Amino acid sequence: MAEVFRSLRLYVLLQRASARGALQYRLNTVIGILSGAIWQGTGFAFIWVVMHTFPSLAGWGLAEIAFLYGLRLTAHALAMIPLMSVNDIQWVVRNGEFDRFLLRPLNPLVQLMGNRMGIAQFGDLLVGVTLLAVAGQNAQISWNAWLIAFCFVAIIGGALIEAAFFLALCSLALRMIDTFALRVFVDDVFSKFGSYPMKIFGGVTEWLLTFVLPVAFVAYIPASVVLGKLDTPLALAAPLLGVVLVALAYLVWRRQLDHYQSVGH
Amino acid sequence: MIRVEGLTKVFRRPRTFSGPFGALRTLVTRQHVEKTAVDDVSFEIHEGEVIGYLGPNGAGKSTTIKILTGILTPTSGTVEVNGLVPWRDRSVNARNVGVVFGQRSQLWWDLPLIESLRLVGALYDVPAPRFERSLKKLRDLLGLDEFLDTPVRQLSLGQRMRGDLAAAVLYEPPLLYLDEPTVGLDVVAKEAVREFIVETNGAGRTTVILTTHDLADVEALCKRIILIDHGKVLFDGAIDALVNEPRRLVVTLESEPEEVRGVPRDAEGRYVFEIHDDLPGMIASIAAEHTIRDLSVEEPDLESVIKGIYTR
Repeated sequence: MAEVFRSLRLYVLLQRASARGALQYRLNTVIGILSGAIWQGTGFAFIWVVMHTFPSLAGWGLAEIAFLYGLRLTAHALAMIPLMSVNDIQWVVRNGEFDRFLLRPLNPLVQLMGNRMGIAQFGDLLVGVTLLAVAGQNAQISWNAWLIAFCFVAIIGGALIEAAFFLALCSLALRMIDTFALRVFVDDVFSKFGSYPMKIFGGVTEWLLTFVLPVAFVAYIPASVVLGKLDTPLALAAPLLGVVLVALAYLVWRRQLDHYQSVGH
Repeated sequence: MIRVEGLTKVFRRPRTFSGPFGALRTLVTRQHVEKTAVDDVSFEIHEGEVIGYLGPNGAGKSTTIKILTGILTPTSGTVEVNGLVPWRDRSVNARNVGVVFGQRSQLWWDLPLIESLRLVGALYDVPAPRFERSLKKLRDLLGLDEFLDTPVRQLSLGQRMRGDLAAAVLYEPPLLYLDEPTVGLDVVAKEAVREFIVETNGAGRTTVILTTHDLADVEALCKRIILIDHGKVLFDGAIDALVNEPRRLVVTLESEPEEVRGVPRDAEGRYVFEIHDDLPGMIASIAAEHTIRDLSVEEPDLESVIKGIYTR
């Protein structure tokens, strides 16, 4: 337990250092946040345009879809802000930088995570939280303390699900297997399918997105609970799935780490 | 302090094909190429020694260092560093060793040197008073003051190396691995690095393992060397024992006979005699029988001895 707190403290220290390093390139930072916000903003603008023509998608109104979209985006941002530098893993492995993480008395994953801060993802967070706040008031939700608490837990659970798939795929780079394209694809599936009511895809797709790549658990199922569209006790377990998947992903990471070969001889 | 026995590391990768559809065949092949980088290496290193770990490029030096530091897991063999198995007790082992890779900095590229050092201090849980004491000593020893506040990316190679050395010993590890710490440095900077190593090794407190291609480093610092090539140990012992050959007299003659006093003419038309005692007498007796065109005396040196071993 003491080691967990130590790791957390050192992670914050490393992350602050990398932020100081990154903030030297001020224009980069501003462009990064703006492009993140604009990218996600256009995604939602598209829904807005569609909803202008069809006022309801599978029984969901604009405010409800906005709430779903905001939930997904906030979870996505929270998953990627700490993990963004894990995305660099194949370069870090290729140029031998990963060696130095193994030479220091701190979990190499924590060091890799602390290597660079995700900046564009703060743009995602900005748009996500804004959508949640606005949609939370405009959709027909009878808020109470319990529901607010569930929202927080659901966001964290969703973030953990995304983080788990991301981490497991990234860890393959430790054996020089390049999964960058696959990661972009999975990220795309999460964002393109995760931000709409599953029902509109129907049948096989809905089943695949629930039980194979559990996109539905990130935002669709929790949002359905909050919006009163789904009332099964099992749905409340959705956030738990994130914890289980992250634990599995970490096991995969550990396993790949044993196969690390470094570069050069 | 370090015990290595039967250490072997085999790298395995898919075979690459060339020619038509080469890329595709490389992608689907199940054939693998194996390369034995370290082959049944054994040695022991005692506390306080400065060891020169030498070998040509690709000999297996860096692979050995990477196994000893816990970066790589060996294919077979046992390693014990301070009673620990480095790749299994990675995190504990890390606290006992300092590592400098001359080819690659371990500092934070965008941060001033002092911040990198503070981060290293935090990662190794160095308490503040000990950190300040250590830093002060290193500032004097390595002359860090002039570039302590400069971002690492703007440092010269010599300054960067001094920064890397400081980061490696800041937490006072009993064991120091230096992988080509003088590569690419000018004469003055090399001298500074050597002085630092001597100072750190001090009264035999810090054990140093040094790999380098600059034999002047080795002559200045190491009493003992381990020579490896193609992953095998070729020599392990005192430098004195290695360079213990007699001086040689090299002569060229006008007449160029097949042999002179039992020494055959070599490919360059020279005759090489080992000098055992009476050099003037030797020269006189050769001069009495032949007309000498040129004559020189060669001292044995580490470089030619090692070159001799590599090409053997």
